[in-house]
Amino acid sequence: MSTLNVLLIEDDMIEVMKLNRAVSSLKLQHNIVEANNGEEALKILENKDKLPDVILLDLNMPKINGIEFLKILKSDDRLKYIPTIILTTSSNKRDLLECFEIGIAGYVLKPLKYEDYVFKIEKLLAYWSINELITA
Amino acid sequence: MANEDIEVYKRALKREKAARKAAEEILEQKSTELYDMAQELKATNSKLQKTIKEQNTELQGVFENIIDAYIVMDLWGNVLKMNEAAITLLGYDYQNNDFNLFAIADKEEVDNVMSTFEALISEGSVTDFKLKLNTKNGTQIIAQVNASLIFDENNKPIAAQGIIRDVTFENKYRQAIETEKQKYSRIIANMHLGLIELDKEERIMMANQSFCAMTGYTEEELIGKVGKELLPAEVDKDLVHEKTVERRSGKSNAYEARVRNKKGELRYWLISGAPNYNYNGEIIGSIGISFDITDIKNLQLQKEDLLSKLEKSNNELHEYAHIVSHDLKSPLRSINALVTWLKEDNKDKLDEVSLQNFAHIETTLEKMEQLITDILEYSSIGSDGKEKRAVNLNEIISDLVKILYVPEHVNIKIPKKLPTVRGDGTKLQQLFQNLISNAVKFIDKPEGLIVINVKELTSYFEFSITDNGIGIDEKYHDKIFKIFHSLNKRKDSTGIGLSIVKKIVDLHEGHIWLESKPDIGTTFYFTIKK
Repeated sequence: MSTLNVLLIEDDMIEVMKLNRAVSSLKLQHNIVEANNGEEALKILENKDKLPDVILLDLNMPKINGIEFLKILKSDDRLKYIPTIILTTSSNKRDLLECFEIGIAGYVLKPLKYEDYVFKIEKLLAYWSINELITA
Repeated sequence: MANEDIEVYKRALKREKAARKAAEEILEQKSTELYDMAQELKATNSKLQKTIKEQNTELQGVFENIIDAYIVMDLWGNVLKMNEAAITLLGYDYQNNDFNLFAIADKEEVDNVMSTFEALISEGSVTDFKLKLNTKNGTQIIAQVNASLIFDENNKPIAAQGIIRDVTFENKYRQAIETEKQKYSRIIANMHLGLIELDKEERIMMANQSFCAMTGYTEEELIGKVGKELLPAEVDKDLVHEKTVERRSGKSNAYEARVRNKKGELRYWLISGAPNYNYNGEIIGSIGISFDITDIKNLQLQKEDLLSKLEKSNNELHEYAHIVSHDLKSPLRSINALVTWLKEDNKDKLDEVSLQNFAHIETTLEKMEQLITDILEYSSIGSDGKEKRAVNLNEIISDLVKILYVPEHVNIKIPKKLPTVRGDGTKLQQLFQNLISNAVKFIDKPEGLIVINVKELTSYFEFSITDNGIGIDEKYHDKIFKIFHSLNKRKDSTGIGLSIVKKIVDLHEGHIWLESKPDIGTTFYFTIKK
């Protein structure tokens, strides 16, 4: 199992804490890079030498929202290859459809219970860590 | 000369004189006879001529119209002669009784008859004189009379002859046609539809009042004008022209077009046109019926506008519901995470009561989240506009029974095979799920029983879900379908479930109601359109 470089794009501080805590409590070696919004994420992604293996993207963000960000990502020749998994509360069918239309690698609903969240994150990271990925 | 000779000559001369005288006398007598005879002949001749003239005048009419009723009468109306057809028509026979033609005319015809008779005397004939006659068998006919006078040798009128025709039915038909004609004229004049007649060059030949009112022009202003040039608004000129050409090939059509009235206002018309033919079936122009639909059109445009606004606001509402639910759920998740961490981080430091309070926080969070989910669901029903498909309810229910939490002591019975209905599968599942889980929730008996049944009606299926639970007091029967009307404060009840049920039933054009007795149980009934 490889160690993943994960870019988490999330404006909610506690959500960020949740991922970090889940990863550490699961004793996983993955690298989590945080971006609080789309702009910040784009800045991080400017560095083509250190691109993340996967992106975890929240849909509800101020300024550039998740779907807009996704569109920017998919229109970039290099960035479009990074598997992007939506991590959201939105069970809106339209959002789901639109995301898959633009191109996503997964759509995960944030559960209410933290334990359920840990369970989902564990599976998600485990899956991507056994995948062959295009690395920079 | 000898005396003897002279005597002989004298006697001979005397004889000769006497013979000449006798001859003269005979001649005179003969010539008197001849004169008398000539006089006699002359008189006879004149008599004959008179008869011939009478007969001629009389016969001429008779032979020309022998199949019609024919009557000869004197100038006082007494019938002198009538043919078989006349006897059949009137029922009277001049040979049997004295029969006066004036006497059988209807009373109200007196003036009419008198004036016509005067006209007959002065003009010598009358044609197409109509009057009501009462025949012998008591029926009244409408008779058409063509009559002429009969003159004697001195050109003095002595009688009248006439042809009588029964035009009662003809008259009735004509009246009926006339009435119909008037009726249609009235309709055309008073209908709110504009009617015009166009000749082959599209010139207006006739326009009714409504058409004039619709255009603002007078009939005089319209007659002779080319309709398709005068009236259509610039944008629709081509359309109207196209349709006119179509009509020329014998095709009827109906279309909407914009028209400018005399004031220059834009009006919407519904125009219906058809070719107009003459007796020989040749197209001689067209007839157009127009209806001003501006108000309807405006309403329609308004409706379309409103609908698109409604759709937009529905969409917005749908989005809004999702955003709100996201924004409300996020803090709940965070609280849950924080509480979990507090528990984890202080594993051995928390006492029993604190742990229990944490558990309460978690339950409350769950309920809160459920509430948000339900509200979202409620507000989403009917907003996605999914098409209705055939849904096999047997599959839906058997799936449901598998996934629903049904305690050991509760038995679900489905005595009949359930039908396949048209609808939204997910929503129908939700409908049954809410009703069944409601039933399960409120069963308080040691042996719970839920019966799902169906009755087929003409255009609906009527479903029923019966439980032997706590029942619902009648005064709440109306209230329970209203949102947030949870009758029982329970941690697993948000008060939205039945509102969702009602909304789904509404969506399937059905009704929902219930029968219930407290402590005995409840039956929910609902219908779904086939």
